[in-house]
Parts: sequence; C-alpha cells; structure tokens
Amino acid sequence: MDNPDPAHQKKSLQTNESLSAVEHKKQIEFQNEAVVHLNALYNYALHITMNPDDAEDLVQETYLKAYRFFNSFERGTNCKAWLFKILKNNYINVFRKNSKEPGKVDYDLIKDFYHSIKDTRSDTTETDSDYFHSLLHEEVYQALLSLPEEFREVIQLCDIEGFTYEEIANMVDSPIGTVRSRLYRGRKLLRNQLEGYAKKYGFATDTDQ
Amino acid sequence: MNCNEACVLISAAVDGELSFVEEKQFFLHLSECKECTAEYDDAQRTKLIIRERVIRFKAPQTLINSITQLTSFTPKEMF
Repeated sequence: MDNPDPAHQKKSLQTNESLSAVEHKKQIEFQNEAVVHLNALYNYALHITMNPDDAEDLVQETYLKAYRFFNSFERGTNCKAWLFKILKNNYINVFRKNSKEPGKVDYDLIKDFYHSIKDTRSDTTETDSDYFHSLLHEEVYQALLSLPEEFREVIQLCDIEGFTYEEIANMVDSPIGTVRSRLYRGRKLLRNQLEGYAKKYGFATDTDQ
Repeated sequence: MNCNEACVLISAAVDGELSFVEEKQFFLHLSECKECTAEYDDAQRTKLIIRERVIRFKAPQTLINSITQLTSFTPKEMF
C-alpha cells in the first residue's frame, strides 16, 4: 500500500483518490452490514468448533472472504445469513477435515469448556419459564449436543440465530420441507432429553399429568 | 385437518412459518384438539428454552480488533 517513491505517488494521486473513495465506501458499508454480526458469528463458530482458537480463525477467514466478495452480496438480503453460509462452507472445507471422528462428543470436555469460558464472556438473558428454569445452562447445551448434527444444526440456526426456514434451507443446501421436518424431529428428541433433566429435579412435566 | 396433518406443522407453526391457509386450518384443529394443543405448547417451550438457556459467547477483544483493522484502512498517505 505504501509507496516509497514520492514522485510516483504524486502521479497516481488522482487514481488513488477515487479508488480509495470507492474502497472507503465499501468499508463503511461492510462495517454496517457485516461487522455488526461479529458476536453472532463467533458464537456460532465456537459452538461448532468447540475451541476458542479455531473459532477465531474461522471467523477471521470468514470475514476476509466476505470482504473480498462483498460485491457479490445481494443488497437488501440478510447479510447475517450470507456470512453464516460463508462460515459454514469454510468450516466444512478447512476445519472438519482435521477434526475428530464425527458424531463423537466428549461430554466431560464440553462441560469443562463451557464452564471455563462462560464466566468470562457470556451474554445471557434470564427469564422465569417454569420448570425449565431449573435446568442448568450446560444441561440444556448437552441435550442439544446429544442430537444428531443435522437436527442440532437447524435448531441452532432457527432458535438461537433466528433465521427463517428459507435462509436455513439455503445454508444447509436442503429444501424447506427438509428443514421443517428436521426441526420437528429435532425438537421432539430435545424435549425428551430436557424432560429427563427436569424429572431429575423433581419437576412434574406435562407428560406426567 | 386431522392430528397427523397437524403434527407435521407444529414446528413451522411455532416458528411462524406456516402459510396463511395452513395457519388457519392448524389453529382451527388446535381449538378442538387437546393433545395437539399440548404438543404445540411443548414445542413452543422447547424453542424458548433453547433460545434462553444456551449461552451466547461474545467475540474476544483481539478478534474484534483484527476484524475492525481489516476493514478500516484509511488512505492517510494521500493527505
């Protein structure tokens, strides 16, 4: 970017000025449209990689790619969904290849991981929602992790990230009908798990009545 | 609409993803079926619990800085 030759710099000033004006405009737009979703992207990356360093790398690569291809982002559509799609592709192409056996989750590891970072940088909303209130964060999380990935993924994208079915369908490369049925089945599985926890604490659930 | 048809639509109903016609038929069925209403309430609660109890982690400052840096090139050599 720096040019040590002042003569050359002066000569190309005109071009550089208009170029940088365009670049500057792109940066501002990118900040407003894309960078505002940084926390959501990091959170998602952390949940899929289970490793803070990997999550940071994944988010960095996602933003680099997003910035490079920002012109291809369809203005007026959901930028967060566009970024998630890039992140997911990156994850599949780079991270997954090096990961452990698929489907094998080390629960103790997750519990430790969850504990170790939740105190330092978490953002939770506490509300009273009947017997579920008794459930610990990591229990809910473990229940979520116990689901097959295809179910867990759509639940995360829908319930945590708030994407529409159409956006999710695009992200997971499946028809909307598939997203619908995965959510239905996933939630059913999840509910069974959660009810197991709730019973452990002696709370009556609907199925007991 | 019968219970089997309603069952398939429960998740989409919870997410507000039914078409206008589906929604009308679905809630009509719910108004006359206790079992499906209970299923619907459960699904709604499951969504709520996931949304509220799964911790959202914030990006660390180092990451915020590097992303900000990536997109805040100022052409100071121009001035």
